[in-house]
Amino acid sequence: MRQWFILFKKECLESVRNFKWLWIPIVFILFGIMQPVTSYYLPQILESFGGLPEEALFDIPVPSGPQILAETLGQFSQIGYLVLVLAFMGVIAEEKNSGTQLMILVKPVSYGAYLTAKWAHMSLLAVTSFILGFSFAVYYTHVLIESVPAAHVIKGAVVYILGMLFVMTLILLFSTLFNSRAAVAFLTLGLTIVVSLLSSLMPNTMRWSPGMLSSHAYSIFGTGEGGEAMWLSIACTLLIISVMVGIAVYIFRNKETASHSS
Amino acid sequence: MNLITAESLTRAFQSTVAVDGINLSIKEGVCTALLGPNGAGKTTTLNMLTGLIKPTGGSIAFDERYHGDRRQYIGYLPQFPKFYGWMSGQEYLMYTGQLCGLTKKAANERAEELLTLVDLAEAKRKRIGGYSGGMKQRLGIAQALVNNPKLVILDEPVSALDPIGRREVLELMKKLKKTTSILFSTHVLHDAEEVSDDIFIMNRGKVVIEGGLAELQTKYQKPTIYIETEEEPDIWCRALKKKEWFRHMHLDKKQLTITVENINTAREELLADATLHKLKPLRFEVVRTTLEDLFMEVAKK
Ligand SMILES: Nc1ncnc2c1ncn2[C@@H]1O[C@H](COP(=O)(O)OP(=O)(O)OP(=O)(O)O)[C@@H](O)[C@H]1O
Ligand SMILES: [Mg+2]
Repeated sequence: MRQWFILFKKECLESVRNFKWLWIPIVFILFGIMQPVTSYYLPQILESFGGLPEEALFDIPVPSGPQILAETLGQFSQIGYLVLVLAFMGVIAEEKNSGTQLMILVKPVSYGAYLTAKWAHMSLLAVTSFILGFSFAVYYTHVLIESVPAAHVIKGAVVYILGMLFVMTLILLFSTLFNSRAAVAFLTLGLTIVVSLLSSLMPNTMRWSPGMLSSHAYSIFGTGEGGEAMWLSIACTLLIISVMVGIAVYIFRNKETASHSS
Repeated sequence: MNLITAESLTRAFQSTVAVDGINLSIKEGVCTALLGPNGAGKTTTLNMLTGLIKPTGGSIAFDERYHGDRRQYIGYLPQFPKFYGWMSGQEYLMYTGQLCGLTKKAANERAEELLTLVDLAEAKRKRIGGYSGGMKQRLGIAQALVNNPKLVILDEPVSALDPIGRREVLELMKKLKKTTSILFSTHVLHDAEEVSDDIFIMNRGKVVIEGGLAELQTKYQKPTIYIETEEEPDIWCRALKKKEWFRHMHLDKKQLTITVENINTAREELLADATLHKLKPLRFEVVRTTLEDLFMEVAKK
């Protein structure tokens, strides 16, 4: 456990030194602020461009608080995930290809600890960035539009975070499988999109899937209650995450560290 | 008792057999050299001993006294050591020390000790990204020693260094030899002769010759003549190849080393050679060879 913590601390220090702990939260904060602010000012913006006739402006309803929060999550699920995938697609490949990994794994270091420390760190960074960004979204929604009950916000955010962890685990799993960062990024984003598309097209067959979590979060913002079968998809996601971490560790252990002599 | 005994150790990559059924016995308290030309299978062998790659055949046994995870007892310097460029030398040693189970305080003390040993104390707070090749190599040796290993495995520790760096590392190895067992690979015979007690010569995945250094020297040494001239002996020395006492020669600008069959005939003929006199000889010396001859023969096969 002590060793795990040392590995974890090193990951954090590395991300601080290469500014991942700065720019990833900033991206989330920017999008967290932008969503409520643009929704609020949209009518004025349109007016100042003079594109629409007077009557049309009245027809643009200012969205409700829960709606804005849901839209913010929508942004996070696109740009936020893209940023996280780009930041972490090299989580294993980088050290493996450069050869730093070999010097660590030849020491009495547990392969499982090495891998899970990386996973824990990237999840921590993702969740922290999300919480920061989302707090700004909630604050500006409260100031500009209307306040959403704190309990709803927190419950919804927790459900959304679970979906985020699913994506981070996908990055980890693909990273142990492939040496190419492009492959990791492509497969993670591709699979995330496919799962969320299928979930919105066939909500019934996909009721168990991690792709349902965001829509449960949206509904929690509005009503305080998740959609039908929320607990099923939460349980399944937790299970999928732990199985994927297990598989990743298994693959990583059985892959040869020194695949090339140079 | 042998520290490591490897029996018919084999490793194949797809169609190439990098290591082909070798037997190794690494003794405790001894400096062993694994000598061989490029592609002989040295790195592959060392990687199997450290456990970084798995053998496709054969077995590796560590001394029973050192049971459990083999990595606890080994310190390893890869052929191309790579560090986290964003860490300082001191941070890296502390990090690896703690990974090996030292407390923060103990790791700090050990790091200081090692930094002094490898002469990096002044650069300890500098980012490793800004280290020179020689400094990185010395840091590599320091990190291999961080857990007080029973056996230090160094893969070509001096190959990438300039003559001064090379000297420093060889001196460092002589110092280390007194306290731990060393196994190192090299393709330079001279380095092996300088620091090692036991030598395994490898070529194409096989151990061709093995034994104690002294034993090999008496067995394979050939009489040699060393000539240094003021003029280029280039053209003159080509004619020597036809002599019946000639075995092998090596010309480095104006320094000529000739390995011969019969020292007396060779000496007489050479000293009587008028052309040699015109080349203005600076030195003429009868010496005993290094194992160069043997190594060249083995490597060519
Ligand atoms: N991962 C690999 N895949 C395929 N072939 C490999 C691999 N690693 C090594 N080989 C082959 O095995 C042989 C031995 O390689 P190895 O790196 O062990 O040699 P070496 O003695 O360390 O050489 P050098 O002095 O150049 O470092 C070479 O022919 C090499 O091409
Ligand atoms: Mg090598």
